[in-house]
Amino acid sequence: MKRFHNLVYAVLGLCGLLAAANPARAQQTAADSSVLDRLTALEQQVADQKPGDSHFMVAGLTTFGFVSNKTTFTAPGAPGQIMRTNSFGDADHYELSPMLLWRHSNNLLVEFEPSFDGNTLGVNWANVTYFAAPGLQIRGGYFVVPFGIYNKRLAAGWIDKLAGDPNGFDMPGTDFGIGLSGGFPLGDMKWSYDVSLTNGLQLLPDGELQNAGIVDNNKGKMVSGRFSLLPFSNSCLEIGVSALHSNAGDAGSNFTSANVNMYGADINFVKSLDPILVNIKGQYNRIEVSRQTYPGQNDAPDYSFSNVSSAAFAQVSLRPTGADDKFLKNIEIAYRYSSYNTPANSTWGANSHQNDFGVDYWLNWRTVLKCTYSLSHAVSTANADQGGTLGITDVNAIYLQFSVEF
Amino acid sequence: MKRKIIPAKMWITMTGVFTVLLIVFGSCAENQKIAAKSGAQLWAENCQRCHNTPSPASFSHSQWVTIGMHMQTRAQLTDKERDKIVAFLQQ
Repeated sequence: MKRFHNLVYAVLGLCGLLAAANPARAQQTAADSSVLDRLTALEQQVADQKPGDSHFMVAGLTTFGFVSNKTTFTAPGAPGQIMRTNSFGDADHYELSPMLLWRHSNNLLVEFEPSFDGNTLGVNWANVTYFAAPGLQIRGGYFVVPFGIYNKRLAAGWIDKLAGDPNGFDMPGTDFGIGLSGGFPLGDMKWSYDVSLTNGLQLLPDGELQNAGIVDNNKGKMVSGRFSLLPFSNSCLEIGVSALHSNAGDAGSNFTSANVNMYGADINFVKSLDPILVNIKGQYNRIEVSRQTYPGQNDAPDYSFSNVSSAAFAQVSLRPTGADDKFLKNIEIAYRYSSYNTPANSTWGANSHQNDFGVDYWLNWRTVLKCTYSLSHAVSTANADQGGTLGITDVNAIYLQFSVEF
Repeated sequence: MKRKIIPAKMWITMTGVFTVLLIVFGSCAENQKIAAKSGAQLWAENCQRCHNTPSPASFSHSQWVTIGMHMQTRAQLTDKERDKIVAFLQQ
């Protein structure tokens, strides 16, 4: 009988335990279900965010500021004429250029940069690049012609140490065509190439050059290229040479035989000599247009001149990046000398040089506030008989410029 | 005196010769010292050739991949340099 009672007590105890355990199990099941639901939701979010090969982003830059300008023009035998201007925006120059980058895949990149310069809405470049193999990128479309380093690498406001551009580096500009580029190691050194085949340049009636545009002005094409060598293993020095050849005359015009050859050399040295970061850059361009006879202006007879232009700049900037003081380490001082000589006896001939002094404050790595003082001096060598203006032009300017990359 | 102009055909020939040289030089291997460089070292050496060294926090992982391709077309980085720099910036 006692054993029966013990069995009854055991069954009752077990029932009690089960009765006590069931609500806990029910709560645990509900909690598991909630976690699973949350996990499923997170998995869906991850799936939505899954990075594919394709990726689109907007970067770009904007530059604006203020310039106070004093221009003195002195004609032969006459007193100087002074003109002063103060302008917002044209702090050489206002620019808003959002850059649209679309990575179609790991081998294909589309780049498009529209740009508003305060007057017009243009396009800086619009091209597609195929990364065909290590050291071989093939691009097509509208791109900066490979020549020197300034236009392609240094001209952006958030990169340039001084507010303005050196004169005479507009050519060869941006053009329509195809190109190849790449870089390779060479033992301790490194070398790179950047070549293109594009529509080319157009010779104007006064002997100046401009890009032919999307419809070529003749059947010839422009070949341009830059080759560079980085002789040190730490890439602190880059030496580049550039060359260009283009048919430039309009088909069927008197300039049919006109050709343009350009030669260039550039240097780029960046080295931290603790606590100072030393930055030296320079470039030399020479443009030679084959001898042509240009139509006379204002009933003057046709004329000819040696159509050779040259431009050069040398720039040094110093920044105490190793300084302990945060304000001091964000200060950079810069100086640039530039010269630009255009053909004597043309209507636009002049010998000019310019000195730019700058103090920059870097708010962060891609945002800069610049103050630049610029002095330029130009002596006209123009052909007065053809309508050229003789005289001396001096320009003093103070720039306050803000530039940011976004 | 008429200036001698290099004909376009010669330029095209030179480009062809260069392409061959490209393939030949392309096989040039980097030495061990160069191959052992870290992404951080390459980031410091190459970015500041033109601009300040960027902060890794400035862009997302995907954006750095796209920007790496863009910068390779600008600065003619080697493929290994690009990949290492991007991997460093993604950290």
